[in-house]
This record gives sequence, C-alpha cells and structure tokens, in this order.
Amino acid sequence: MGRCTTTSGAVLAVDFSHWGGPVYRSCGTTPTTGYELLNQGGWRTTGTGHDGPAFICRIGYSGQQGGKQYPTPQQDDCVLTPPASAYWSYWHADPGANSWEYSQLGAMLYKPKPGSVDLWIFGGTNIEGTKGRPKLTPDQLRAHNTKATGKVGTPASTDRAPDLPPGTDTGPKAPEPKKPKPAKSASASPKPSKSPTPSASPSASTSPSPTAALTPTQSGPAAGTKVVDAAPAADAKTDAGSLVPVLVGGSLIVLVGGAALYAKRRRRTE
Amino acid sequence: MSRTTPVAAMPMSGHTPDTGGRRLPRVLHPVAWWIWALALATAVSRTNNPLLLFLVLAVLGYVVTARRTEAPWARGFKYYLYLALTVVAIRVLFRAVFATGITPHDHFLFSLPHIPTPDWYAGIQLGGPVSLEALLSAATDGLRLACMLCCIGAANTLANPKRALRVLPGALHELGVAVTVAISVAPQLVQSVQRVARARRLRAGRNKGLKALRGIVVPVLEDALERSLRLAAGMDSRGYGRAGTATRSSRRITGALMLLGMCGLCAGAYGLLDATTPTFLGLPAMAVGAVLCVAGLRLGGRRVSRTTYRPDPWLLPEWAVAGAGVLSAVLLFSNVGYNAAELNPSIYPLSWPTLPLVPTFAILLAGSAGFLAPPPTPPNPIAPRQRAEKAEAT
Repeated sequence: MGRCTTTSGAVLAVDFSHWGGPVYRSCGTTPTTGYELLNQGGWRTTGTGHDGPAFICRIGYSGQQGGKQYPTPQQDDCVLTPPASAYWSYWHADPGANSWEYSQLGAMLYKPKPGSVDLWIFGGTNIEGTKGRPKLTPDQLRAHNTKATGKVGTPASTDRAPDLPPGTDTGPKAPEPKKPKPAKSASASPKPSKSPTPSASPSASTSPSPTAALTPTQSGPAAGTKVVDAAPAADAKTDAGSLVPVLVGGSLIVLVGGAALYAKRRRRTE
Repeated sequence: MSRTTPVAAMPMSGHTPDTGGRRLPRVLHPVAWWIWALALATAVSRTNNPLLLFLVLAVLGYVVTARRTEAPWARGFKYYLYLALTVVAIRVLFRAVFATGITPHDHFLFSLPHIPTPDWYAGIQLGGPVSLEALLSAATDGLRLACMLCCIGAANTLANPKRALRVLPGALHELGVAVTVAISVAPQLVQSVQRVARARRLRAGRNKGLKALRGIVVPVLEDALERSLRLAAGMDSRGYGRAGTATRSSRRITGALMLLGMCGLCAGAYGLLDATTPTFLGLPAMAVGAVLCVAGLRLGGRRVSRTTYRPDPWLLPEWAVAGAGVLSAVLLFSNVGYNAAELNPSIYPLSWPTLPLVPTFAILLAGSAGFLAPPPTPPNPIAPRQRAEKAEAT
C-alpha cells in the first residue's frame, strides 16, 4: 500500500461489507485500465457468460479465503447480467477530490489517473444516484504519503500478467500524462514517512484476513467498516477440473443418441 | 380421469408400433406432450452445462423418433434443429464481432480487424481479438436457447396441433381465428416447407442455393398463412368461435375481465422480474390478474356449451409423461443433492464441465417419456403410407 502516493499509482478499494468482510485496499503502481488494477497482486475477477469478462460479476482476493470470489455461485450464477439491485458498482475519486463519481466507463475502458482511488461496492444503485453510494470517503482510502514507503526498490511481486493479445482495444487515452515513477526518489529517503491510517478505523494496519466464510448481511455496512490493506499476493490457483465427467457425459449422450438413431432406423424399415 | 385400461398400464420398454405389441397403439393427449415439453424447457433454462444441454438434445431426439406419428407436422423436427443451429451460429458470430474484451488470462484465438469507435461510444467495440472463452460462452449460451427451441419443436412434432385446439377454454373461442393461427403456424410452416420443396423437386427445380431459397421462402410464408386462415375458417364454419347464447353485455363483461386480467398478469410479471418496483406490483398483481382471467373464462365458457366428438382420453400414460417432465423441472430447480454451481460451469477461467448426478437423472427421467407413452397409431393400418408417398414423390 505504501507504494502509492498522492501523485502516483492508483488505489484500489473493494468493499466486502455485504458479506461482513472488510474493505480491502491495495495499490497498483502502473495500472493501464481499471480492469488491470482489479486483476493484479492476487485480485481476480469473473465476468458473466452473457457479457464476457468486461462485466465484473465476481471479485476475489487470494489473501482472503484462498481467493474465493464474491458473490458466490449460490448467490449469483453470473450467466446473465446481474440485476441493478445486486452488482459490483464502480466508483472513482480523482486525485485530491473528496467525492465519489459513478464510473461512466467499464473497467476495461477506464484508465485510472495517478493518485486516484477506485472503489468497488456490492449492492444496488438507482438512476438518481441516491442509493448505494459509498459510505467511506475517498480521503479515508487514498494514499496520503507524498513519498512511497516500504520495499519500493523491488517489485511487490515478480508475477507478471501475460501480455495482452495484439490489437486489444484498451479504450480512450487517459486524459493526463503519466507521472514518472517515484521509485528512485523514494529509495533515496532513509526515513520512510509513516502513512496516516484512515480516520474511520484506527486499527487499519494489515490485520490477518478473516478465515471464517463471509455470509451476506442484511443491513448495509455501518460507518465503522474496517479498512484492511491487502498485500500483493500471488494469484489463487484455479482448477481446470477433471476430464472424467466429460467422458462419462459424452458416452451417455452417445448412448441416448444411438437409441434415437436405432429408433429411426426401425421406423424406416417398418 | 384416472381410469386406466390394463393394456395401457402395463409397463413396457421398447417400441412396437405393430398391433402385435403388448400395448394398444394410440395417440397421447396433446396437452400431456405440451406439459412435458414446456417443463423440460423450463428445466433447460436453469443450466448452462454443455453436457446436460447435449443430453437434453439427445433425449428429445430419442423421444421424437420413438413416439412421433406419421402426420405431416410430425416430420418437422429437423427444421427445429436447423433453427437451433442458426441460433448458436448467430450467437457465436455476434460475440466475435461485438468483442466483449479479452483478458491476459484468456486463450487468444484470432483477431478481427478493429473498427475504432468514438469516445462517446466507447461502450461498444467492433472487432478486435477473440478468445476461446468468449466463443465458448457464446456457444453454450446459444445452445441453451437452442435446446428450449427444440423442446417447443418436439411438442409441435409430437402433439397434434388440431386436437390441441380442442382443449382451449370456451371463452377463448371468441378469439377463434387469432388463436388458431397462433397455435398452428409453426406446424403449418413445416408442412408448407415440405410441400413446396416437393413441388420444386417434381418440377426439377434447384433445391439449393440462394435463388432456390427465394423461390421457397415466399411461397412457404404465403402458403402457411393461407392454410392457417383456411383452418380457422373451417373451424368457424363448424361452430368454433360462436358466441352462442351470450348477450352483448355478457360478452363485453367477459372481454373486460379478460383484458384487465391480462394487464394484471403483465404487470405482475414485470413486478416480479424488476426488483426496484413496489411490492404490490409483483405477486399481488399477478394473483389479481389470474383471478380476473379465470373469472372471465368461466363467464365466457358458461354461455357456450360444446360437445366433443371422441374426446382424447387422459389415462395413466398421460399422467406419466406429464409427470416425468414436471418432475425433471422440479429436480433442476430444487438444488437438492448437487451444487448449483455445477449447472453453470465456469468459462472464465476455463474448466471442464462436471456431470451432476441429480440433473442428469432428471433429464433421463424426462427421456423415459419415450417408452412411457404408448406407441403412436400407424397412419394407415392397411397400406404402408410412407412407401406410397415416397413413390409418389419421386
């Protein structure tokens, strides 16, 4: 988290309070799109079958329950576009601004500005913009240090996302030019300035991630939602499953299909 | 209703349409087939698992070949299969052209030329890289719709559309022509395609290519509508859609009740599907609409007294077929004995689909209609009509 400053990197915050979890906060030093910011350092998303990966249907963090993604398949099957009453809404706060702005672009098209905050909240919104607004302010989440802290000289993770395929449209250009990386100047300063913790939660330092499964809470999050810094982590392992059910199912289909063909031949010869 | 004949109740597997079989061949009640097919379509709407979807297609194919009659509309299942294939193809094509984005984790397949769109139109992309995941998800999505189409096609193939019209409630007879055209247009289309194709074959016309398509499509549409209207007129002349002794005011009340009831049903469906509407628009509106509709039907039906010549019986096989369909839908919606996630295997990231036991059993149960139903009546016991028609056609 210390790698983001007021003028560099983009802060990603994901609110799991719908399931009784904390608000996780992490830093992307060089995100090109909001999607990439949400798919790095152990974060992973799932799209819908209908809209593809660009519609964020599930979000998971490998530091929380081994990367279990929310909402769970029991809560939303992510086949069709989720309803406006229960989806991950996407909010931005520009550098310095202390108000949230509902994203007008999808995660794959939006380019976070250096020093900005991206927030994902699960819940419902309405067209008037009165419902489902974030309860936390951008100042509670953004980086306040002017210089990067921590092990800034080395990358947090050597795991790099594979390159995008050729011809990928990453959307309109970001309005502001990218600031140079602060890594050099930061590594020269011996005294790392302690970044102020968010005012809403005094104990916002890295706390152990909850181990119990998160369950949906009926009431919305209170003002005292815990903000937890999510350390960059390796991607959660995904399981491709086994081929056996496919073979069994395939033979079953061939069996029934064979019965159909047999019935057809019998009809013909009668 | 539940009176059974010993012959019909005898359990039997296999299919012996000849008279030497243990069961008397007869035509199943059309409503039983419709309930079976609609229930199976409902079950299909729940899953995106390609294994289950292909199993549904195989089961439909088996039941249709085993239990269809030799009537003209009963030979049209392959047209519904073509339609299903078109649906899948269109879905995949649209997903490839209107790119939905590609992530670094996806399997890149090929790239289409990208057409840039202005910033204010950034939500839609034309062309660009296409991933295996995108095509697979489009294909399974299309396959689900295709399966539902094939369920309706199976009902149209298995059930006699003209006999299905008889069970409509008396009040709907007011809408005689519209109802007849609506119910019989798909089977009539299939028949027309067959007739026009045969006529072209007889005249040594081309059967393939774009030119032939134009020569087929226009006559087919014309023929299908004409035949539906002729059927409606024929039914009209036999007293179908007759107002009976209903007075003008009672007919108006019936119409008003039906219209209000339908509005209530529509509002109820909207309220149930849209979570942001006030609660009174959901179930209560639907219930009120249903009550109004039933009242309208009862009021309208009271005035029209009809007798049926040789009514279709509803015996044990009808219960069994309809029950098998409904039970399969209930099992797929019950979430008992399997993980609901198995019905929708993950595509992002790609994983092999699993074969959950209970849904598989439910679909096979629906397939048991293939031997729960009695064998269909042979079209003409004296002469093998299929041969005669073949000889006629060539």
